[in-house]
Amino acid sequence: MRARLFLLPLAVISPAYATTYLSLAQAQALMFPHTLLTPDFITLSDAQVGAVEKIAGSRVINREVRVWRAADGGWFITDGVFGKHELIGYAVALDAKGTIKQVEILDYRESYGGEVRMPAWRRQFVGKDDHSSLTLDDDIRNISGATLSCTHLTEGIKRLMAIYATVLAPQPG
Amino acid sequence: MPPSSPHSRVERARPLLGTRVTIRCDAPSARQANAAIDAAFDAIAQVHALMSFQDAASDVSRLNRDAAQNPVQVHPHTHRVLVCAQQLAADSAGVFDISVAGQLCHWNLLEPPQAPVISDEASWRDIELLADGRVRFRQPLCVDLSGIAKGYAVDCAIAALQDAGINAACVNAGGDLRVTGADCERIALHGCGSDAAYAPVLEIDNAAVASSCGYPQRRLHQGRWLGPHLHGSRREPVDPGISASVIAPQCMLADALTKLVLADATMAAALLGRHGALAYRHHPAHGWQAIGDTPPPVILH
Repeated sequence: MRARLFLLPLAVISPAYATTYLSLAQAQALMFPHTLLTPDFITLSDAQVGAVEKIAGSRVINREVRVWRAADGGWFITDGVFGKHELIGYAVALDAKGTIKQVEILDYRESYGGEVRMPAWRRQFVGKDDHSSLTLDDDIRNISGATLSCTHLTEGIKRLMAIYATVLAPQPG
Repeated sequence: MPPSSPHSRVERARPLLGTRVTIRCDAPSARQANAAIDAAFDAIAQVHALMSFQDAASDVSRLNRDAAQNPVQVHPHTHRVLVCAQQLAADSAGVFDISVAGQLCHWNLLEPPQAPVISDEASWRDIELLADGRVRFRQPLCVDLSGIAKGYAVDCAIAALQDAGINAACVNAGGDLRVTGADCERIALHGCGSDAAYAPVLEIDNAAVASSCGYPQRRLHQGRWLGPHLHGSRREPVDPGISASVIAPQCMLADALTKLVLADATMAAALLGRHGALAYRHHPAHGWQAIGDTPPPVILH
């Protein structure tokens, strides 16, 4: 275990960063391996928006819902949520009974204060004082500080479940 | 498992532990990396289910509801975290105390699944860990493991990755993270510990780091700003303007020790060495300080 704190002139901080963890195709292959997915995008009506908001307890921002029907009866849905400082794209996989089987974050965009960029000359500096074998091509993506909450994402998943119950699930009668 | 040359680097993220958890690993193939990451996420989800403060079905909620009446059987994971918490409480004379949760509920800094019944005199000393994995409270009290369980979840994820044959990995649970493998990892320390002139960047290898800062969760209570961290034995709030980062071999220790560094840097300095840990603390008036035997920050111009 080794560790060292460096204080870098603030000028090297870049205002924003974005990470893509999974492309749409990667997420589909991961969450529904070897299963045919057929797009079945929906647009919520006024009545459906009202019903979803009542169940979920939060506002529907986008009436267009990107839904894929899986050959095994399951569902693959993607959505995006805005937090205070971030934009998160995510995908939810439901089984044929509408139970969540997996949630994956697809991409993440931090709107401020995320990334610390290192100019090339400074990279040579950092880590040279001990024996590190650094990979020096990376900007700094890991941030440690006060824990970020994912309340907006939790709300988003709740909303998708309400959309499932209102629109996608077999309706009684 | 035979040595192999990793070709695929995969990084994925899920919402877990109330935050964004990212797991990155190097494996011979993307398929192996994904299978290992699935197992690591499952390990984190299990710790979350056992130790969530809000979930009424968790071990923690069952303890808070029932342990003052009858001993409660908990999962070995929960028991392990409780053992570590109680050891730190004993070593710090109660500065670290998981039973401060009752006070935090009272200040609306924590929302319990049901209103807790708490004795004012109760402390960590009233938590009795029985040999058979059961736990009893000698007085009505309320525990919250979120100041230590997130780090434990990271350790469990690293163990799951190692069980799957992964050597190089990074697990980051909302800023509490652990790295294994040959590469160094750089981490921007973020939160209230930023000052006007310099950005703090930590470089670690084969280590865990956790940070705590009460600023974003602070609440105005009777005209005074309170953060979610307390000095356990004095039951006084820690100044939410202070932040701390601890580097330790395991993330559970790093996570727990941040609370000690926030509450009492002098006491923490003595304990850090015993656990092979290092720490930096930021105070708005004093900037970044190395605690104990930690090497001082290097200022780059």
